[in-house]
Order: sequence, then C-alpha cells, then structure tokens
Amino acid sequence: MRLPRFLAKKRGDRRTGAEVWGSVGDALFHAILLAAGMVFAGLLLTGVAVPEWRINHHFLAAQGTVVGKGLARRAASGQAASTWQPCLRLRYTTPEGPREAWTLRGAIVPDRQAAITALDATRLGKPLDCWYDPTDPETVVLERGYNWWMWTLTLFLPGALVAFGGAGVARSLTAWGKSEERQAAAGGRPHGGLAAVGSYPGVPPCDDLVNSPGTILAFRLPIDSGESWALLGVGLFALLWNAVLILLAVNAGLDLLGGQIDWLLMAILVPFLAVGIAGIVIFVRGLILSTAVGTTQVEVSDHPLLPGGRYEVLLGQGGSGTFTSLDMAVELEEQATFRQGTDTRTERMVVWRASLGTWTGLQLAPGTRFEGRGVFQVPATAMHSFASEHNLVSWRVVVRGRPAGWPPFTRSFPLLVYPAPPSGTQHPKAEVPS
Amino acid sequence: MTAIEPVRHSPHVMVHFCSPDRRYEPLQPIRIQYQIELSAGSTVQAIERSILWYTEGKGEEDLGVHAFERITDGATIAAAAGAGAFESHLPPSPLSYEGLIVKVRWCVRVRLFFEGGRDFVSEHVFDLGTVPAALSRAVP
Repeated sequence: MRLPRFLAKKRGDRRTGAEVWGSVGDALFHAILLAAGMVFAGLLLTGVAVPEWRINHHFLAAQGTVVGKGLARRAASGQAASTWQPCLRLRYTTPEGPREAWTLRGAIVPDRQAAITALDATRLGKPLDCWYDPTDPETVVLERGYNWWMWTLTLFLPGALVAFGGAGVARSLTAWGKSEERQAAAGGRPHGGLAAVGSYPGVPPCDDLVNSPGTILAFRLPIDSGESWALLGVGLFALLWNAVLILLAVNAGLDLLGGQIDWLLMAILVPFLAVGIAGIVIFVRGLILSTAVGTTQVEVSDHPLLPGGRYEVLLGQGGSGTFTSLDMAVELEEQATFRQGTDTRTERMVVWRASLGTWTGLQLAPGTRFEGRGVFQVPATAMHSFASEHNLVSWRVVVRGRPAGWPPFTRSFPLLVYPAPPSGTQHPKAEVPS
Repeated sequence: MTAIEPVRHSPHVMVHFCSPDRRYEPLQPIRIQYQIELSAGSTVQAIERSILWYTEGKGEEDLGVHAFERITDGATIAAAAGAGAFESHLPPSPLSYEGLIVKVRWCVRVRLFFEGGRDFVSEHVFDLGTVPAALSRAVP
C-alpha cells in the first residue's frame, strides 16, 4: 500500500506530488466554510427572519386595550447587572373569544427607573392596535415591519460564507482529477496542436503606455502610481479611524456631562487618539511631499521598445528651489510574490541598470521646468517585459531627486520591452496619438 | 550490513527533440518524439501531452500552456502509450529566462494516468530564445 505524498518534488525529469490530496484538503476547507454558512443562515432564518416574516404576513389585526403594565427583567447568569424592558398586558378579541396576554413594548434599558418612566407614557385602558398569531392567539405584538439592519446581517454574513465556501467547493470539484496543464488549458490558454497564440503571451499590454503624446518626444510615460495609491490608502485609513475616534469621544463626552466616567472607554481613547493623529500626520506629510517638490515628466522617442534599439529619453522636472541632484536611469527589475505562512509577500530585485544622466546644483524657477536628455540602448539579448500572476520582469525609467530642504524622492515610469523579433518578422508598432 | 531497499517500478519516458541542443527560436516549429516504458501490469487510462512554460524562483509558480492534448480513446492510448510524437509552432513569447528571483522555463510534459487514480508526469525542459542569464547578484 502506498501512502499519499503531501509534498511535491521534482526528481530529474519526473515530478512527484499529491495533487489529489491537495484538492481534498482544499475541498474540505471550503466545505467546512459552506456548512458553517448554511448552519449560520439556518439559525438566523429560524430565529430572526421567519418570525418577523410571520408577524408581517400571518398575524391577524385586532383592537387591544391596556389592562396591565409591568417590567421584564433580564439578567445574564452569574451577573448582578440586569436590563429592563416595559411590557403591557393587552385584552383583545379573537374569533374564538376574548384573550389577554403580555407583550413587550419599548427599548431595553439598563436603568430600571428609565424603564418605569417609559412605561408611565402608556395609561391603563388605552386602546392600541395589535396583531396576534392565529396559530397561538396568546402571542401578540404591538408593532410590525422589518428590521432592515438585522435582515442585512442575516443575508450578508452567512451569504458571504456560503458564497466563498460554495465557490471553493465548486472549484475543487471542477479541478478534481485534472492535471494542472489541463486546468490551465481549459482556463482559456491556447491548447491543442497548432494552437493560435495571442500577440505576445506573457507580455503585459501596452495600451496605457502609448496613449499619451509627449511635448517633445513621441510618448509621455505615465508615472507608476504605487505611491499615490499608498497615500490614498493612508488617507482613507486616517479618515475612517478618526471617524470611529470621534464617535468614541462623543460617547465619552456625553458620559462626562452626565457625571459618569467610563474608565475603560477612556483607556481605549488614548491609544486610539495617538494612532489617529499619527495617521493624519503621515497622510499630510505624504501629500505635501508629493505636491511640493513639483511634477516629474518623462518622455521617450518610441514605444514599445525592442532589444537592440536605441532610444532617447527626456526628463522634465517642475517645481521651484534648488535640487542638489537629479538622476535618471533605466532599470530592469524582477518581482516575485509568494506566500509565507498566512502573509503574501513581494520581493523586488533590480538586475540591470543604465544611467541616463545625473544633474547637480539645479536652480528651478516657478513656472518653468528643467529638461534633461539621455540616450540608451536596450541590450540585443535583453529579457522582454514579462508578467504572470505572481512573477514580473519589468523595465522602467527611474528618476531620483534630492531637493534642498525636502526628503529625497524616487519616481518610476514603466517601459515595455517586446521580445526580439524573429528573423524575417516585424513587430507591430504603436502609433503616436494625435 | 546492507539495507534491502524496495524496488519501485516507475514508468520511464524518453523524449527526443527535433533540435538536438533543445534550443528553439520564437515561432519555430517543434516536434517531439517519445517512448514510454511501462512497468509490468500497469494499465494506462489516459495520456496528456503538453508544451508549456512555468515560472521558478522565489514567487509562486505560474503556468501557461501553449499546446495541450489529452488522449482517452482506448485504441489511441494503446498506440500512444508505447511511443508517439506531437508537434506545434512555438509562440513569440515568453522567452526562457534565468533571472535572480524569477525564472521562466519551457518544457514538454507527458503525463500518464493509471488505473486507481495515480498519475506519473515526465518533464523535459528546452530553451525558447537566447536571453542570457541575469547577473549573479542584484544591482545595488
């Protein structure tokens, strides 16, 4: 009997592994999530949704009269603190004859006196509209309608578990017993004999890189917006965090005005305040740094680039003040994304660099821009731009500046390098947009 | 004292590329001939023959299938399980690349599916293009 292999290995020209056991584990994990979602959904449906639905659709209307008043007390086992909710005894008429039953009315409050005050608003003998359960006439309510917040939770939480788990189970079943090549081939990649292939498989599209004409050279390169997204992320975090902080602070302020001090809330507020202030400081600092130095523009004489080709690059740096140095280079960077435990990490490594120029002691005046030019040649045997789900080989122009009085900055502009054209063939070229 | 190791009979797949040095240019035709030596008593239920690239290195493995063929027909399997050939035209990219943390490799795989759900895959690497290996260390 052979035991299952849990680790994949490459042995010479053979690969051994446990794709089936991997699929079992994956299917089992998602099946547990699916089952948990269905159980959760069942509990919420029977406990919240169905009773509310019956009240709105099956309960019968009646005219009730208040014949008694009281308080419902709830206390968690082992705890001295109780909560209170007003309740009324109603007399109402059903086809089977007159009935009397208790029903809850009003909010649950921790203060008994507040519950009594709420109860005083309803006098004995007051007529009230009520609805009773025809299958159990002793069950009567004073309000109908839907609690949309509860319905949203009822649908969203188990719905997310059922959708995620169900999709995972379906994916596992679809992939069951299929090799990774078969799955990849079925996933839309070319397969079978003399398959027709796309223009350049594995090469990222260049549409966004050639849709902006330059002012002097053919194309203006877009800036790599990674830092902008990070800044936006910090800004959103600071906004949400401080919104929560304000809510907590208002609650704490109301407690103080009422003569109470919630020490736990106060203890939470102090670190929350520190994080909130730090978020605002980091966002404002990043915003100032990204806008105060001035914009950087890079233009290239042709795009996409080809191995062996010689290209001119123009650097335009706006802003005002002194730049200690400004440096422009072309780089080839490898990027690998991998999982480490439960984290997803990305490692980058520059494997080739060519300087396009270094300028020192620049004095920039407002309303003008510094312009520097450089020329470089893509090595004839260079690796082309490559992108797959977890791996990237990317070309870019990198501008590093040292403005006087400000922290140094690095801005990168993506380039696209096609594979070397096979002999006797020509690459399709991008047209300069008008 | 010599330990007695159990003898495990694995299938053996021999592959012959039409280019002896296993180097191909983009868009060039590729023809692969193969021979399979099965262990006694094993019955092949299906054969998959594919030409694909995959990544190696620090990142998770990505895979792109260029040509794929699955044979399940009994008569065809009987013929293909002994020896066979398949061919395709290679795509213009991605080219084989030996980077520092990202590597792109092209290969031919012959996968055999046996009774009982077990499978065996034989992989044979070749080069597409002539991109030299990256520098041995990162640029500072």
